[in-house]
Amino acid sequence: MTRSGSWGHGLRMLAILALLGAAAFPLYWMFVTSLTPSSELFASDARLLPKFSEIGVYRDAFHGTSVTTWVRNSAIVAVGTTLVSLALAIFPAYALSRFRFRGMGLVGFGLFITQMLPEAMLVVPLYAIFGNLALLNTLGGLILANSAFTVPVITWILKGAIDGVPIDIEEAARIDGCSRLDIVLGVVLPLVAPTLAAAAVIAFFHGWNEYIFAQTLISDQDLRTASVGLAGFVGELSTPVHTVMAIGLMYTLPAVIFYLFVQRFVVAGMTAGSVKG
Amino acid sequence: MASIKLDRVTRTFGTKTAVSNISFEVPDREFLVLLGPSGCGKSTLLRMLAGLESVSSGEIHLNQRRVDQLPPSARDMAFVFQSYALYPHMTVRRNITFPLIMRQFKWWFHIPIIGGMAKRKIEASPEVSDLVGRTAKILALTEMMDRFPRTLSGGQRQRVALGRAMVRQPQVFLMDEPLSNLDAKLRMSMRAEIIKLHRDVGGTFVYVTHDQIEAMTMGTKIALMRDGVVQQFGTPREIYLDPANTFVARFIGTPPMNLIEARLERGSLRIGERTFSLPAHLAGAASGDQPVLVGIRPNALTIVSGHDQALAGTVALVEHVGAESVIDVRLDHATTAHREEGEGRNEVMITESGYSDLHANDVVSVAVDLSEAVLFSPESGLRLRPASQAATARVN
Repeated sequence: MTRSGSWGHGLRMLAILALLGAAAFPLYWMFVTSLTPSSELFASDARLLPKFSEIGVYRDAFHGTSVTTWVRNSAIVAVGTTLVSLALAIFPAYALSRFRFRGMGLVGFGLFITQMLPEAMLVVPLYAIFGNLALLNTLGGLILANSAFTVPVITWILKGAIDGVPIDIEEAARIDGCSRLDIVLGVVLPLVAPTLAAAAVIAFFHGWNEYIFAQTLISDQDLRTASVGLAGFVGELSTPVHTVMAIGLMYTLPAVIFYLFVQRFVVAGMTAGSVKG
Repeated sequence: MASIKLDRVTRTFGTKTAVSNISFEVPDREFLVLLGPSGCGKSTLLRMLAGLESVSSGEIHLNQRRVDQLPPSARDMAFVFQSYALYPHMTVRRNITFPLIMRQFKWWFHIPIIGGMAKRKIEASPEVSDLVGRTAKILALTEMMDRFPRTLSGGQRQRVALGRAMVRQPQVFLMDEPLSNLDAKLRMSMRAEIIKLHRDVGGTFVYVTHDQIEAMTMGTKIALMRDGVVQQFGTPREIYLDPANTFVARFIGTPPMNLIEARLERGSLRIGERTFSLPAHLAGAASGDQPVLVGIRPNALTIVSGHDQALAGTVALVEHVGAESVIDVRLDHATTAHREEGEGRNEVMITESGYSDLHANDVVSVAVDLSEAVLFSPESGLRLRPASQAATARVN
């Protein structure tokens, strides 16, 4: 490697480390705070290293709260939102990309408009509708409410990816005996897999982080998601900060693991697509 | 065994007519080339045969069976695309096997893992793997069956696309400019391979190209198209020797046929300052004195020195192609009916074998051999034939 090349490499590594530090520091800070005794929390000199003797806070949080139930509920809602959103978005995305029909622009614009409405505005009407449909206080109802917000975004993202699939490949599949459904599922979807993975990330995190619907549409303690459970600790008089941080960390880790798992597909797809063919 | 019959096939896109009222018949085992410049409707016609494009009016028959209302997969035709259109996420083996898998496809093949196992089972079955293995051997693909299309060269991809068409053992092979993405050398070898494929596999081939050399070398029949209309349908030899109009005359042959303005006068032909006696095959092509266009191939003109029956001119350009030289001569007294790419209105092209010693601005005489010349009407551009020949031409 040339001298300037090694300098460039070093600088790049430095930039990557700086970005990584900026992204990972909040997680680290959460961990340190969770292991800081209450008495030192508001001390003027902040503690930078965790105090491992305080590790018992995790055991207490695990046994003393419903954190496992909350995280499980969050996982059900997030995975459900991902599956429902992808399943519902694939076909309109394909139709918007491949078919020319009357009112096409209107459909696209309509999908776009839904993104402009704040969730809080829809809480009351959704509550009324879900009440009539017996969807209140069910995780299924929450999945549907979340999907209503993710489907339009994912539809647009997938449409863009499907636009990039050469029409010749679809025509070859038609000649080889594929029906339209076979083409979408067997030819187009594998080719837009990286975008599908990116869409899955968006839907998963929407379902995982969502708070307003989870707070209003669910009243049963056993069906609470972690975002609502966590918020329940914030009291008027006191907040057990280290417990909140410990639970927060337990709430964050599964999402990070999910992202690390899906991210491989996103990156693999990027390199596959970079080669002409 | 497949014969194709087109009966007044038309395709319109809005107000634009892409293919207009085309009728012809292709007997079994023919190699039909649809030839023409860009936008002449040749690809649209091929796509209508395949079922990728619907027919606005008219009928398409395959072996007396009407197919224009059938979906593409029910027509028993394979299609080779210009872009190869391989499935990028499948190996070469799966690409070639794919049409055979689709024949046994069930809805539950879409279920992950279970569907994959079912597809692999079909792929491994003796009849499928034998057929795929044999096809791969013919196309020299055996070594690369487990590779992905993106790792193959253009020629190899094209062979995979041919393989995918061959395993279906279709009655008709449709090919849409399959060689135009390859470099010149590879194109020549693939051309030979496709000719060999036609000979070995049988079946009827319909091949679209804008390259007249491909058409002349590969086709047993050519349909030369312009603006959605077939200008002439016939064997390569007929189209070369007996062009139906000035468009066909100029499109086929390199360099193209010279069209020189002339006049029929009392049984002789006047070109510029010279008068030639009319050869027997042209006698009776037109009655009375009238202007005509004489079509003369570049090899029927010769540079001579001091010939009293030759046309005077000046050399404008000499191009050495290797085995022959193409000489562009500006005629002093005669004019031509073509003016392409900045040519003057009086330039003819002449081919001479070997390396010509002529240079630009040399004053030369051009001798004219009218034994294979043809006459066209200057107004309509159509062929002028003697009455007896016209009757035969109509029958063809």
